[in-house]
Amino acid sequence: MKLSWMFGPSMEQRHLLYVYVAVWVIQGGYAAWVAWQWRRAGRDAKVGEAMPSASQEGY
Amino acid sequence: MNWQISYLGHVWSHLRKDLQLEWRSRDSINGMLFFALLVVVVFSLAFDPTAAMSREIAGGILWVALLFASITALNQAWTREQRNRVLEAQRMAPSPASALFLGKALANFLFVALVEVVLAPLFIVFYNLHALGQGWLLWVVMPLGTWALVCNGTFFAALGLRTRNRELLLPLILFPVSIPALLGMMEATTAILTGEFEPGQWIQLLIAYNIAFTTVCLLLFETALSAE
Amino acid sequence: MERPRTLGPIGIAWFCLTLAVIVYATRMALVVAPTDALQGNVFRILYYHVPHSMLSLIFPYVNLVGSLGFLYWRRRDPLKALAADAVAISAAEVTVVYASICLLTGMLWGKVEWGIWWTWDWRLTSMLVLWLLYVSYLMLRRLSSTGQTQTLAAVLSIFAGIDVPIVYMSIRWWRTQHPSPIFFSGDPDSKLDRTMLPAFLWNLAAWAMWGVFLLTLRYLLERRRQDNEQNAALKAIEDSLELTR
Repeated sequence: MKLSWMFGPSMEQRHLLYVYVAVWVIQGGYAAWVAWQWRRAGRDAKVGEAMPSASQEGY
Repeated sequence: MNWQISYLGHVWSHLRKDLQLEWRSRDSINGMLFFALLVVVVFSLAFDPTAAMSREIAGGILWVALLFASITALNQAWTREQRNRVLEAQRMAPSPASALFLGKALANFLFVALVEVVLAPLFIVFYNLHALGQGWLLWVVMPLGTWALVCNGTFFAALGLRTRNRELLLPLILFPVSIPALLGMMEATTAILTGEFEPGQWIQLLIAYNIAFTTVCLLLFETALSAE
Repeated sequence: MERPRTLGPIGIAWFCLTLAVIVYATRMALVVAPTDALQGNVFRILYYHVPHSMLSLIFPYVNLVGSLGFLYWRRRDPLKALAADAVAISAAEVTVVYASICLLTGMLWGKVEWGIWWTWDWRLTSMLVLWLLYVSYLMLRRLSSTGQTQTLAAVLSIFAGIDVPIVYMSIRWWRTQHPSPIFFSGDPDSKLDRTMLPAFLWNLAAWAMWGVFLLTLRYLLERRRQDNEQNAALKAIEDSLELTR
């Protein structure tokens, strides 16, 4: 595999890997959370309940 | 009787009111003083400085102690207005909101300055300090630094008035915004005490910071007060 | 409030395009770009780290514009004000995400390159203060009481916006340990090599596009929440008036 040099025990390789994976996890995780909240807000709108928004207590 | 109170007249009324109220109980001042003293003692235990090291760190410790001490007073400054719904009355009064802010900020400034006047000799004693740089510049740095803390502090304390966890919120929002000013006052004080570098740049920073944020506070106080 | 029907497909198209650019840029960073002569492969962290740093300096100003818009429209056009506030909170959250990534990737890189996780040099310290400022904004939003939150947060946002350049200036005066910035200094030795530029630019574009996507997504979430809140308020009023009898 072309990227096999990335996987190895040295700190260089480990940290490079951590950086790339961490960015995907953080960015992807945040986007997923927002999307999930968005769907939840949509469902609650149909039920007619109030969802707390960022302008309310409990955000 | 046709009398128009000038803007400064309004400021003076607010200032006098706060000074009188505080003088009657002297709660804030005593609390601040004792708190600052305790912080100084704890830091001395933490670092146990030699004479040379004292000069390096005294500037930082002084401002940290004053920062924490003023936080305790700033929160109280506005609770006074909340009792008996005084704040609603203030909002309806014809005096400009920024005059209320300025009066209160000046009052807080005087209280913290009083604490400094008492604290300074203690510092000199505890750390065997004498300034190796231009000592007279401290008379410039202390008021500038104090105003930077008190001005934003009074404003942010008003922001947090009706929040839950009000006491918690003030340091959380005040400290980040104050970092440049804190850096300025600490560096300038250290420069004066150690004489190792020039405080000029830091004093300029403090002046610029004070001008910028005093203006912003005066302009935005009306908005913050009538936030609902 | 019905949104135009074309927005959905545009959104999905943008998302797919963004993902494609991210994949391409990542490939460029890891495979195509040459290995750095001095630092070896760990230098490739730069392609993720620097774009995030640069972008985390831009989103705060989106937040500022949103806050100013909110304060302007607050009494004139409440609906526009709500939209502006939604922009403000979205930009603040995205700022914190990007700044966090900048700090984290910077630390991982620093450990390899300098042997230390952290140092109080001007760039790291300034970025940390930026992060603190916008986290404090989010705390204010969380802790303040309903009805006031948006105005108070907008006011804090103005303070933060003015503070950011002052912070950078003051901390730069205070410290000079970080290696010279790669693009905006006069030092010729510190310029990014021409062969590395494409990879860098692709990553900058990729994460900028992703940032726009995140902003929009979070904005839509906030608008939904605002709508729910308004509907709930309306419903409460109707119930109290017993109009639905």
